[in-house]
Amino acid sequence: MDDPPVLELEGITKRFPGVVANDHIDFTLGRSEVHALLGENGAGKSTLMNVLYGLYQPDEGQIRVKGETVKIGSPKDAIERGIGMVHQHFMLIPVMTVAENIVLATEPKQAGVLLDYRAARRRVEELSRTFGFVIDPDARVDTLTVGQQQRVEILKALYRQADILILDEPTAVLTPQEAQGLFEILRVLVREGLSIIFISHKLNEVLDIANRITVLRRGKRIETIPRQGATQAGLARLMVGRDVLLRVEKEPAEPAEPLLEVADLHVKNERDLEAVRAVSFDVRAGEIVGIAGVDGNGQSELIDAITGLRSAESGRVVVAGRDVTRSHTRRVIEAGLGHIPEDRHLRGLVLDFTLAENLALEDYREPPDSRFGWLFPRRLIARARTLIREFDVRGGGPRTRAASLSGGNQQKVVIAREVHRDPRVLLAAQPTRGLDIGAVEFVHRRLVEERDEGRAVLLVSLELDEILSLSDRILVIYEGAIVAEYGPDVSEEELGLAMTGGVREEAVA
Amino acid sequence: MADTAEAPLLAKIRAHQVIARAEERPGNGRWSRFAQPRWIGILGIGLGLLAFWLALPPLASRTLVWPILVGVLSVAAGIAATTRGAGRVGWGAIVAGLAGIALGALATHSSTSHLNDVIVWSALIASTLRYATPLTYAAIGGMFSERSGVVNIGLEGDMLMGSFFGVWGADVTNSWFLGLLIAILSGMVLALVHAFFCIQLRADQIVVGTAINFLALGVTGYLFVDKYGANGAPTSIPTIPDITINSLKGVYFIGPVFGDLNLMIWLSFVLLFVSYIVMFRTPIGLRIRSVGEHPRAADTVGISVYATRYAAVVVSGGLAAMGGAYLSLGFVHTFDQNITGGRGFIALAALIFGKWRPLGAFAACLLFGFSSALGDRLPTYFTAGSSLPVLFNALPYVLTLIAVAGVIGRSIPPAAIGRPYVKQ
Amino acid sequence: MTELPGELEAPEAPEPTPEGTVPSVAARLALYQRAGGFVVPLITTVLAFFIGGLVVLVVTHKNPISTYKAIFNGSGLNWFFPWISHSDRVTAAFNLQSTLLLTTSLIFTGLAVAFAFRCGLFNIGGQGQYGMGAIVAVLVASSWTSMSGVPHIVLSIVLGALAGALWAGLAGILKATVGAHEVITTIMLNWIVFWFAAYLFGIGGPAQSSTQALVPVSNDVAPNTHLHVFWGSPILQGLHIGFFIAIAALVAYWIVLNRTTLGFEVRAVGFNPEAARYAGISVAKNYFLAMAISGTAAGLAGAIDVLGWKFRVGVDDIQGSTIGFIGIAVALLGRNTAVGIFFSALLFGALVNGTSTRNLDPSVFQPELASNLTLMIQGLVLLFVGADVLVIYLWRTRRKLLFWRRSAPTR
Repeated sequence: MDDPPVLELEGITKRFPGVVANDHIDFTLGRSEVHALLGENGAGKSTLMNVLYGLYQPDEGQIRVKGETVKIGSPKDAIERGIGMVHQHFMLIPVMTVAENIVLATEPKQAGVLLDYRAARRRVEELSRTFGFVIDPDARVDTLTVGQQQRVEILKALYRQADILILDEPTAVLTPQEAQGLFEILRVLVREGLSIIFISHKLNEVLDIANRITVLRRGKRIETIPRQGATQAGLARLMVGRDVLLRVEKEPAEPAEPLLEVADLHVKNERDLEAVRAVSFDVRAGEIVGIAGVDGNGQSELIDAITGLRSAESGRVVVAGRDVTRSHTRRVIEAGLGHIPEDRHLRGLVLDFTLAENLALEDYREPPDSRFGWLFPRRLIARARTLIREFDVRGGGPRTRAASLSGGNQQKVVIAREVHRDPRVLLAAQPTRGLDIGAVEFVHRRLVEERDEGRAVLLVSLELDEILSLSDRILVIYEGAIVAEYGPDVSEEELGLAMTGGVREEAVA
Repeated sequence: MADTAEAPLLAKIRAHQVIARAEERPGNGRWSRFAQPRWIGILGIGLGLLAFWLALPPLASRTLVWPILVGVLSVAAGIAATTRGAGRVGWGAIVAGLAGIALGALATHSSTSHLNDVIVWSALIASTLRYATPLTYAAIGGMFSERSGVVNIGLEGDMLMGSFFGVWGADVTNSWFLGLLIAILSGMVLALVHAFFCIQLRADQIVVGTAINFLALGVTGYLFVDKYGANGAPTSIPTIPDITINSLKGVYFIGPVFGDLNLMIWLSFVLLFVSYIVMFRTPIGLRIRSVGEHPRAADTVGISVYATRYAAVVVSGGLAAMGGAYLSLGFVHTFDQNITGGRGFIALAALIFGKWRPLGAFAACLLFGFSSALGDRLPTYFTAGSSLPVLFNALPYVLTLIAVAGVIGRSIPPAAIGRPYVKQ
Repeated sequence: MTELPGELEAPEAPEPTPEGTVPSVAARLALYQRAGGFVVPLITTVLAFFIGGLVVLVVTHKNPISTYKAIFNGSGLNWFFPWISHSDRVTAAFNLQSTLLLTTSLIFTGLAVAFAFRCGLFNIGGQGQYGMGAIVAVLVASSWTSMSGVPHIVLSIVLGALAGALWAGLAGILKATVGAHEVITTIMLNWIVFWFAAYLFGIGGPAQSSTQALVPVSNDVAPNTHLHVFWGSPILQGLHIGFFIAIAALVAYWIVLNRTTLGFEVRAVGFNPEAARYAGISVAKNYFLAMAISGTAAGLAGAIDVLGWKFRVGVDDIQGSTIGFIGIAVALLGRNTAVGIFFSALLFGALVNGTSTRNLDPSVFQPELASNLTLMIQGLVLLFVGADVLVIYLWRTRRKLLFWRRSAPTR
C-alpha cells in the first residue's frame, strides 16, 4: 500500500439539528484496498458515506480524490469522480428490468430520441461477463433474489466506471453463503484495481474481508487498525467504549407445556401464491424458539397468520389452549399472545399518539381504561407512568409524543405494552433492527427474562447472531416450509446451508 | 468461481417460479372453479344479452328500468372480470351490458318497426368519440403526472381553465388556434401552482388538488361574469374545425362515424400514439417512471426528481386544458360556469381503470363517453313530461363509481405516488 | 428490572421516520394542531384574503378595501361594534342572523369533513350527503301532515341525518372493503345526488310539488315542523334553534374524539392504520364508521336547513348549493378542532352572506363576481393550509438552528 491514497477525507464534519453526526473525521483509502468502516447504529458511518457520495454537504472538511481536492455536490458529481455506492436499501426499481435499472440516466439512444434497449442489454451482458457475474438483463428486478439484486447494484456502479466502491451494510440481507459469494466478487474487483469501503457492524465479516478497519463511535473516529492482530472482542470494545457481552448469558431452558401450537398451516400471500406450506411446530412455556430464514421465505405470512392479520387457508393455530385459527387479531391478543412487530414505526407505534395512548393501544377497550365506551384518560396516564418507570423509558413522560423518543426507547415502549398484559406467548419479529448495542442488549436480556418467567417466546429474525444467541431451539424456514430443526449449538455454516434449501437438495439428490 | 456455483441455484429459482405460477389457480373445491374471472365475465355477457332480450316479445318490458338494471349488473360483472385478469371476456361483458341497455331502450320505445339501426349506431359511436375526447386528453395528462409520482386531482380545474381561456382566447384573438394555445398555457400555469405546492412545499397532494379546483372554478367564473356577464358566451367565436373526409363519407358504417370528426379528436389519436412512445420507449419516459416508482433511486443516479415532477405536472395541466378547450371550442361551442362537470375526475378514474397506460385509459374513456352519449340520446325515446330522462345524466358517474370500486387494489399504481420527495 | 449498563445521560436524538412510512392526512394535520395554535390559521386567512384582494384589484380595477368593507357590513359582523348607529344596527342584526344561519350549516358540514379527516379520510362528499339529508327531510316533513310537531321534526331530522350517513357510508364501505379512494367515490356520489334531485323534483318528477305544477320544487314541509326562531322574525328568516344543535354537535365532536373508545380508535387509525391493525383495531370498521358519522353531520345540515328556513327543496337548491364544499375549507382552516371549526364557520358564513345578492351593494361590487371571489378565497385557504406545514417546519428548525449556532462555532 505504498501508492498514494486514492481517496482522502480530512476533518469531515456534518451537523444536524441537535446532533453532530460526523465530528472531524479523517479517513484514507488506498488502491486495491478493502477498508472497513465499523460502528454501531448511529455512529455516523452512513452519514460519512452519504457525504462522500454527494447526498449531504459537509459543514467542514475536505475531500481529495486521487490527490485532487474536489467538491461533491450531488451523486452525479460523485459518479463522475468514479465513486459508486451500493446502498443498504437497494436503489433499484422493482418493476423495471435489470438492464433498465443499470442504464438509467445514462441510457444509450437510438435515433436520438428512442431508448436503445438492445444496446443496453448488450452492455450489461459484456459487463457481467468481465466480472464473472451471471445476471439476466431482461429479468424484472422484483423477481430476483436479494443476492442477485445486490449484484445488479454493483453492476450499476461498475457500468458508470467506478473505481471506488462503497458498500453500505451489504451482508445485512444475505445468508452466510451468499455473503461468501459477495466476498469472492469483492476480491475479484480488488484484483482489477478497485478500492472498496465496506460499512458494517458485523465483526466476524469485517475481519474476514477487510485490509484495514476504522472504528467510529458517536460521530468521531476512534481508531484505524490493520486487520492483523484485530479481534472481535477488541473491535467491539472500540465500537462501544466498554466491554460488551457478545452472547447473552442464560440458564439452560426448562420447557413445560406447549403454549403455541401451529399445525399444518397453509397461508397465501397477496399474489394468491402459497407462502406457508404445511408448517407445524410448538413453542413451549419457558423456551425460546427461533425461526431463521432468508427474508421472503414466508416468515411475514407465518407471523400474520398466527397473529390474525391474515387468514390461513387451512391448518390450526392454538394459543394457550384456545383455537385462534383465522380469528381476528383482537381475539388472538385476548387469548394471550403478545406481538412485538417488525417495524416499530410502521406497525408498532402510533407515532403521533402520546406514550400513554400507545401503551393503552390494546387495553383501552376494557375497564379500568374505559367503561361502556367512555374513556378515562387519567387511568391511561397513571398506567403509563408505572410502565415508563418499570422499563426505564427515557426521553419523555406519559404525555410525550412517541415520535420524540429514540429508537431504543420506542422499542421499549412496544415491549412494555406487549409484556405488561402478561401474555402466555410472546412473538418477537426483528426486535432489534436499527437499535444500538445498548438497546440490543436490553431487548435480548428482556426476552430471556420473559422466557424464565414461563412464557413461550417465538423469535423471528434475519440476524443469525441473534437467533444463535437467544434460541433454545432453532427452526429453519425455506420457501414456506420448515426444513430443519437444530439445537443452539449448530454451526452458522450448517444453518446458512439450510436457509438456502441445502437440506432439501440433499434429500432430493 | 462465482458463476458455476450460481447456475444450479438460478435454475432452481427459475423452476420454482414456473411451478409457482402454475399453482396460481385458486380454490380447491369443485364449485369455486366458477368464481374464476373468466366465468364472471361470461356471466356478464349473458346478463348483457338478457338486458336486451327483456325488452323483446314475449316479455316485452315496457319500462326501461329492467334492461338498465340488468345491463348495469352486466357492466359490473365485466369490470370485475377485467380487473381480475380475464381482460377479453370482461370487456366483452361491458360492451354487451351497454349494448343491452341501448338496444333495450330502442326496443321498449320504438314505435316504428323500421329502425334505421345503422344510422342510430354510427351516430352513437361518433357521439361516443366526441364525449370521450376531453376525457382522453385529461387522462393522458394525468398519466404523466401520476407516473412521476404526483397525484393530480386538480385535472378538473386545469380542464376548466382550458375551457374558459380557449373561448376567451379565441374571442379576443379571433383565431381558434391562438385560443387553443392560450388555453394550454392557462392549464400549464395552474398546474405549475399545483406543482409548486406539492413538490416544493410538500403539501398534501389531494388537498392542494382540491384547492386548485376551487381556484379554477372561482377564477373562470369570475372572469366569465366579468367579461361576458349579461349576454353569456359570444356565439360567433371561431371554433376548432371538423375534418371532413369526403371520400369516406359514403362508406357504409365508417362514413358517418369518421367522416366528420373534429380536428381535436384526430389529434387525440396521435396523442395516444405519441404518449405511448414517449412513456415506454424513450429515456425521458424511463426517467419519469423511475421517479414515480423509486424517487430516491432516481436521485442517486443523478436524475433531478423535482425537475422531472415539475415538468410532468405542467405537461398534465397543459393536456387537460387541451381537453377542456376541445370541450368548449370544439364540441359544445360555448362556455358556462363549471362546464366540465366532474369530467376531470372521471378522467382520473379512467386512468386508474386503464392501469396508467394510454390504451387502457383510452378504452375506459370510450366507456364513459359511451355512457354520456347514451344519456344524451336515450331521453328522446321517453314520453314527454317525465323527468326520468334526467337520470341518465347520472350514468357516467354511476359507471365511474362501479369502475373505481371494482378496480382499486387490483390496479397497481406507481409505487411512490402521492408521497412528497424530500431531497436531503 | 434490568439496568441499562452504561446508558449515557446525553439526550439521544429522536429517530427520524424512515421513508417507507406514509404520513396520513391525519398525521400531517396533527402537525398543524400541535403547532401554531391560533396564529398560523390567522396568517393563512389574512394571506388568502390579501391575494383575493389583489385579484379584485388587478382584474376589475376595483378597490379591494371598500369591497371587503362592503362584504363585512353585509355579513352583519358590524353588529358587534357598539358605536354604529341604530338604523345600521337593525340592518346589522338582520344580516348577522343570516350569517349565523349559514354558520350553523357550515359547522355541520365542517364537522363532516373534520371527523373523516381525523380518521385519515378525505370526505369531499359533504355536498351530496347534505343533499340527501335535505331531500329525505323534506319528503318526510311534507308527508304525514297529521303528525304532531315535535315527533315530526325529530323524525325528519333523524331520517335526514341517517340518509347522509348511508350516503357517506357507501363510500366508507367501498373504502373499507376494496380500498376505493374516497375522493373519487364521494365526488361521484355528489354528482349522482345532483341528478337524482333533478329527477325527483323536476317537472313531472315523482316528488314534485302537487300544488305548483310548473315549478321544479318539492312540496312544502308541514307548518308545524318549522324550527322555532329565537332571534329575529320567523317571516324574515331569523335565527332558529338549529344554531344550538350545531353548538351541541361541536361539543359532541370533541367528546367523541377525546373521551370515547370510538374516538380513540378513529384517531389511531387516522394516524397509523397499520399500527392500529397490529393492535387489534379493525381499520375497515373505523373507515366505515368515520364516513357514516361524517355523513350524519352533513345530513343533519341538510335536514336542519330544510326545517329551519328553506321549508321546501327545489332542484336549484340542490344543484346550486355549495355548503358542503365550503365545509372543506372550514374544517381545514379550523384545523379539525371544535373551536377552530366554530370560528372558521363563522368566517365563511360571514363571507358568503356578505357577498350574497341580498346584502352586497352592486355598485360596490357585483354579487355574482363576489361569489366567485369567495370560491377563490376558499381555494387559497386550502392551498395555504397545505403550505403552512412548511411555515411551521421552518419555524421549528429555525429555533434549533439558532440553538446550536450559539453552542458551536460555524465555519
